[in-house]
Amino acid sequence: MEAADLDQINTLLDTDSELRERIKDQVNEFDKKTRLMVATLNKIHFTPPDTISALLDTVKSVIVGCQSVTKGLAEIVPPNQFWRWKDMWSNSLKTAVFASVLVEYLSSGQLAGLQQVSDQLGMREEWKDRVSLTVEDYLHGVISVVNELSRLAVNSVTLGNFDQPIKISHFVKELFAGFSMLNLKNDTLRRRFDSLKYDMKKIEEVVYDVSLRKLATVPIVPST
Amino acid sequence: MASSDQGQIRLAFQGFRDEIDAYNDRRERLIKASRDITNLSKKTIFLLHRLVLEGDASLDDKQLFTRAAKKGYEKLHQVQGIYATLKPELEGDRFWRYERQVSPGLQEYIEALSFAYYLEHGVLIPYNEVQKSISDAEGEPYFHLTVSDYLLGLSDLTGELMRFSISGLSRKGGRRKALEVCAFVRSCKADFERFTEHIRDLRKKQNVTNNSLEKIEDTVYAIAVRSSEYDLPPEMLDDIVATVSSQSNPGGGEDDL
Repeated sequence: MEAADLDQINTLLDTDSELRERIKDQVNEFDKKTRLMVATLNKIHFTPPDTISALLDTVKSVIVGCQSVTKGLAEIVPPNQFWRWKDMWSNSLKTAVFASVLVEYLSSGQLAGLQQVSDQLGMREEWKDRVSLTVEDYLHGVISVVNELSRLAVNSVTLGNFDQPIKISHFVKELFAGFSMLNLKNDTLRRRFDSLKYDMKKIEEVVYDVSLRKLATVPIVPST
Repeated sequence: MASSDQGQIRLAFQGFRDEIDAYNDRRERLIKASRDITNLSKKTIFLLHRLVLEGDASLDDKQLFTRAAKKGYEKLHQVQGIYATLKPELEGDRFWRYERQVSPGLQEYIEALSFAYYLEHGVLIPYNEVQKSISDAEGEPYFHLTVSDYLLGLSDLTGELMRFSISGLSRKGGRRKALEVCAFVRSCKADFERFTEHIRDLRKKQNVTNNSLEKIEDTVYAIAVRSSEYDLPPEMLDDIVATVSSQSNPGGGEDDL
């Protein structure tokens, strides 16, 4: 190879590795925040209903704090290279989605949509080719929420909240119906979706126990 | 939960389904195109191997190789035609999304292109030349060539050069050519070595390059040892070898390595 060609290649490769380092710094920042979210959200399993909203507010502020990371990434990633680098922060982002969707469900009983989560994390339409929330990452986050809710169904009974498992059951069934509409190929998302039935089974068992003993006040079958 | 909310979840997932389907469809199309490109490129490589052995006596090495290279480029026009049609599929941020589907065919194409280029110029094809070959008449790239695909494609060239040097041994001047190729592959290997820390797959391919190099080195060694037994100029040895090989094997002494 000519010296000039060698130099050209070297420059290109050096630029890439420098870029990688800078992204890594942002991801480390991101990870610190997502670890804090997960640690805080773990408390939902033993927090009584009257103090839960304060807990959720704490998590919410951490989620909103991720906006600086999103902005940082948008500044570092070169135009059109979103898909080249996204794997570096994909795991952190999935965790942030999990936190956001779980907080919204526990606050309002609703599913936070992709756009809503995206906005909360400070993603902007004009950054789409550098940083954005993909359908796949969003769905991974949603599946993690279902995993968590199956645990919460059990623990809320322990805390004396007998209605919670039934509400969770309705919500998760809706999500499952949604996932069933997707043509997933044999990837991790597909495998995780397949595992949802175990979560549903666990939730159903709790609902069965609660209803058998007539502990719940909400109807088992949704009013619609 | 209210019924409007159920509808919303359903609606959201319908949107996801459309997007996932569109992604999978495009992915399939690109995999098919990549397979076609791999096929055409492999055929070009075989073509080049055949053409360099089909020497008629009136052509010297340079003319023969240039002629082969030209025919190779012609065949590769088909590949460039496919890339031209793929341009819209890989526009904007899509290229990096489907990079893994594009890569295999692209590397095979670069291998074929660099083989033809080596025959014509005797050097590695520069990065800019490869990018130019997959750009339109105005020089607008169909998509961005990654350094990684460029280097990995070139790395495969060494295997072809090994075949080229060994199967050409019985040709006139084939032994001198083998020495040349040996030195060239050695310098390629050294050049690539610098990049292995950045490109993981290149490290694996360096092993293959090593094996190819060793085969060429062994061949060159055998030539040196044997020709030392005859105190004759190389041209006369060529004639002797040509006579013998044409007697023993009318199809030309092609080595099956």
